[in-house]
Amino acid sequence: MKKVSLSTTSPIGLAIAAVCILGAIGLGVYVSRQDSAYPSSDSGSIDAEVVHMASTVGGRLIALPVHVNQAVKKGDLLYRLDPEPYELAVHQAEANLALAAAEVENQKRLLAVKTANAAVAQDQATRAQTNHDLAARTVERLKPLAGHSYIPWQQYDQARVALNDAAISLSQSHQQADAAQIAIGDLKSSLAAQQAAQAMLDQARYALRQTTVVAPTDGYVTSLRVKEGEILAPSQVLFTLIANDAWYASANIREITLPAIAPGDCATVYSMIDRRTPLRGHVESIGWGVASLDSAGLARGLPLVPREMDWVHVAQRFPVHIRLDPADPRLLRLGATATVEIRHGEACH
Amino acid sequence: MLRLSIRPFGISSALLLGGCTVQGAPSFSLVGAYFPDWMLCGMIGIAVSVGLRVVFVLTGVDALLSLRLFTYLSLGVITALLTWLIWFGP
Repeated sequence: MKKVSLSTTSPIGLAIAAVCILGAIGLGVYVSRQDSAYPSSDSGSIDAEVVHMASTVGGRLIALPVHVNQAVKKGDLLYRLDPEPYELAVHQAEANLALAAAEVENQKRLLAVKTANAAVAQDQATRAQTNHDLAARTVERLKPLAGHSYIPWQQYDQARVALNDAAISLSQSHQQADAAQIAIGDLKSSLAAQQAAQAMLDQARYALRQTTVVAPTDGYVTSLRVKEGEILAPSQVLFTLIANDAWYASANIREITLPAIAPGDCATVYSMIDRRTPLRGHVESIGWGVASLDSAGLARGLPLVPREMDWVHVAQRFPVHIRLDPADPRLLRLGATATVEIRHGEACH
Repeated sequence: MLRLSIRPFGISSALLLGGCTVQGAPSFSLVGAYFPDWMLCGMIGIAVSVGLRVVFVLTGVDALLSLRLFTYLSLGVITALLTWLIWFGP
């Protein structure tokens, strides 16, 4: 057997080795630059917005026309709660409003009566004034006569008492007129009560409308596992609606390749449901923050710094949010694995 | 300098073999798991370097070579990188 020596130093062999090694290094550098300039990720996922369907009011579920995994259109009836308690509340609020309206009418009549009373009291005051004036003139007339003893002193005395009486009556009638004027009041409190009753009625009607839940957007019904008869608490989620109006892909890209990505960049996305069909999308945004274990700690406590001596640090990745163009709905399922190529790939030529 | 000498080669090979670009995602499914494209390229590189070694030994080219380990390793690396560039490169 021929012995092969590793230390042969034929010039041709060395030249071939040098060319191969330099070629491998050069190609390696070129490929690594290309890879940084055109980032890709095979750990992305198909993403969509969801609505957790719930009603702001509670009650018994009486109608559920949708079933799980059904596609619904915006405005379709999703479910209905028993409206009876809320109808009764509306009737009660209507009665309260009628009561308040009647009270306003009542107050209007009372106001008219009080206004008339005030006018009477004013007239009484006028009469008391006239009587007082007469008594004052009588005293004035009798005073000289009594001084010359043309009339008995008794008569003059009676006239003065009559004047005193008239003064008191006048004062009282003024006070009564003032009091009657103040007592007239206004309709403010009954009008406010009417407005409060109206607001209660509006609220009851709003609650009644909330017993019917319609689809806020086109989408798919998921995780629905109950039937009619279920009792729901206010704000209890019955199922999740996956919005079908916009689909996204979320790909985690290493921070060192982020500078090569800008919002608006074309992206080729493959849903692994069918890895042969490229989906076209555009970068919408790049995540502004991720939680880092190195900076973990309580908000107001001291920072948690582990004692360590790591020489190799793995690059942090940030989620890049890609909005997909309309595509075959069979490929779009929330959470599906996605392969993402940014600024290259089949859909971006 | 190195990059300038490499770039035309890469572009021309990409132009020549552009028609061979595979369809589909750069990720392969094997018994329910996804394997990345570079792993396949590495496999091809290893297979090609082993194949070249056999061919060179049979044809006698191997006797001309020195630093065989590095030569075959480089050939494998070049094959793997070129495969990646042509199939999955931007």
